[in-house]
Amino acid sequence: MSKFQAEWQEMEEEYQQLQETHKLYRQKLEELTSLQTTCSSVINKQRKSLKDLRHSLSRSGKTCDENDLKLITDIRSQIKEKENVFFDMEAYLPKRNGLYLNLVLGNVNVTLLSNQAKFAYKDEYEKFKLYMTIILMFGAITCLFFLNYRVTDEIFNFLLVWYYCTLTIRESILMSNGSRIKGWWVSHHYVSTFLSGVMLTWPEGPMYQRFRSQFLAFSIYQSFLQFLQYYYQSGCLYRLRALGERSQLDLTVEGFQSWMWRGLTFLLPFLFFGHFWQLYNSVSLFRLAGRDDCKEWQVFMLALTFLVLFLGNFLTTVKVVHQKFQKNKEKMQKKD
Amino acid sequence: MSQSLTSLQDEWESVDAEYKQLQERHTMYLHKLEEISKLQNSCSASITSQRRRLKEMHSSLVDKTGTSDREAEALDEIKSKIKVHLNTFSEMEAYLPKKNGLYLSLVLGNVNVTLLNKQSKFAYKDEYEKFKLCTMAVLLLISFICYFFVAYRFLDAILNFLLLWYYCTLTVRESILISNGSRIKGWWVFHHYISAFLSGVILTWPDGDFYKMFRNQFLAYSFYQSFVQCLQCYYQSGCLYRLRALGERHNMDLTVEGFQSWMWKGLTFLLPFLFFGHFWQLYNSLCLFRMAQLPEYKEWQVLMCGLCFFILFLGNFFTTLAVFLRKLVSQKPKSL
Repeated sequence: MSKFQAEWQEMEEEYQQLQETHKLYRQKLEELTSLQTTCSSVINKQRKSLKDLRHSLSRSGKTCDENDLKLITDIRSQIKEKENVFFDMEAYLPKRNGLYLNLVLGNVNVTLLSNQAKFAYKDEYEKFKLYMTIILMFGAITCLFFLNYRVTDEIFNFLLVWYYCTLTIRESILMSNGSRIKGWWVSHHYVSTFLSGVMLTWPEGPMYQRFRSQFLAFSIYQSFLQFLQYYYQSGCLYRLRALGERSQLDLTVEGFQSWMWRGLTFLLPFLFFGHFWQLYNSVSLFRLAGRDDCKEWQVFMLALTFLVLFLGNFLTTVKVVHQKFQKNKEKMQKKD
Repeated sequence: MSQSLTSLQDEWESVDAEYKQLQERHTMYLHKLEEISKLQNSCSASITSQRRRLKEMHSSLVDKTGTSDREAEALDEIKSKIKVHLNTFSEMEAYLPKKNGLYLSLVLGNVNVTLLNKQSKFAYKDEYEKFKLCTMAVLLLISFICYFFVAYRFLDAILNFLLLWYYCTLTVRESILISNGSRIKGWWVFHHYISAFLSGVILTWPDGDFYKMFRNQFLAYSFYQSFVQCLQCYYQSGCLYRLRALGERHNMDLTVEGFQSWMWKGLTFLLPFLFFGHFWQLYNSLCLFRMAQLPEYKEWQVLMCGLCFFILFLGNFFTTLAVFLRKLVSQKPKSL
């Protein structure tokens, strides 16, 4: 009995300590919250002042001499730098969610407040993409070679819709935490969600049977390509991060980015082949839609969507290639 | 020219000075973040280890009754104190970040969804209620349009996608609420997963004779369902507000799609509406089972939807009946 009482005494002491620590924690949490509010409001105020300053600069820029022009350009570049710093600062401050996250999650704060947490979250996102890509590849192989039922096709399509929706949510969270994913590489997940959704509603019929094998083969190639991308890009990013040339929060993407010229150029032909397969899908679907016995709206809608995907992917990648050629040209000109 | 430039330069210098202040404040903020993160870790670790030891102690004390009255008293005191401590730990944890459950981990990853103060928790709950009410109103409108004005599979598909998205989003938001201390239990969470599945199956149902047979009934049912849920949200939130002011209900209690014990105080009039909705679900399931027995039956969706509606009916009806019976039983001794 006395043994219990001694142990109990020990636990009571630990408990008291915990209560004090927790009280201190709640207090510091309140201090932190007020600091957060101050920082956020100062950043907003500064942003506004910088905007006003830029307006006044552009007005004076029209009527001034060379020395003044130099000063103005200098201030302009410093303003740009400051705006980048604000973006990085805000990655550590809680903020209101954008429209998309607000609709899905509501007003829960998704800012991860430490570097390790951010990096761990990014790592987790990459792993999620990898595992899902492998699962989708096996799913497509099963549907194409083993099970020829609409039900299994539906399950595969639902998985695709869910995968792309989840990607969009996780990417919104990453952007809220300072990741600089931009433009097409975000939108194309929304387009892919829409595509998979439309495929889902396409009823069984002769039109569907004509397109099915092509679509499944395309999905297998797509998953294989994404797997390659993930594998080689993450290795390359790891190396570049160690050299300090890329940010910790840079992600693997489904396209070609400027940093990939260092060793990943061999991926370009694979990527272009995938883009042209999307164009081929779109053309086949337009042809199917033109037939007399086609009465499903899904065919035409899918044709359009594949065309949009092709244009977005192809033009974005061509832009990166073009920029590289421009840079090389400038380098050659400088040498001469 | 230079005069306006000097005024610009002055403006720039004052903005720059503010910027330096901001940088210092932000550095201090990052320091505090680290402190808080350490405090969080130590609190969480201490709670976990104390909880484990308390549970061990409790299980070894449970069979002991002591060799004297004083000992027995001391033992009882320790047992009750253990319970108090365990409750305090749960309350403390509502303010500490924690790992997400399986569902949230799959969808969001490891971002922390704990809202760290009472107002944000309450605001989040309020937002959830508004989301339900607004989306229900939109669904009401669309099902009205689909039933009376437009008869295209395309518009039906949009309604079904909206239903699917609505129920999936509800499940995500409810998981976040549960993670923040809301006590939603059992059937009222699970039935959103079933409703999501049902909407998904209807989505894949091709436009044939069977679909046309069931369509109007389903749209009318959706219209009624949305109407009842709007009623529920409206009256329940008013009632909950009153009860919270009287201190009789918890701040994080939510409006649900069923009948709960606290609703006897003024919301009894909703019961017949609810039972009517449940029996409509039974009627849907019986119609679908009958359709499945027709000779032309070939779509698996018919049987699957029939099963889903049947499960929904059983769950809804028996859960509501349980509340009803409990009330009768608690009133019986008074009449004796």
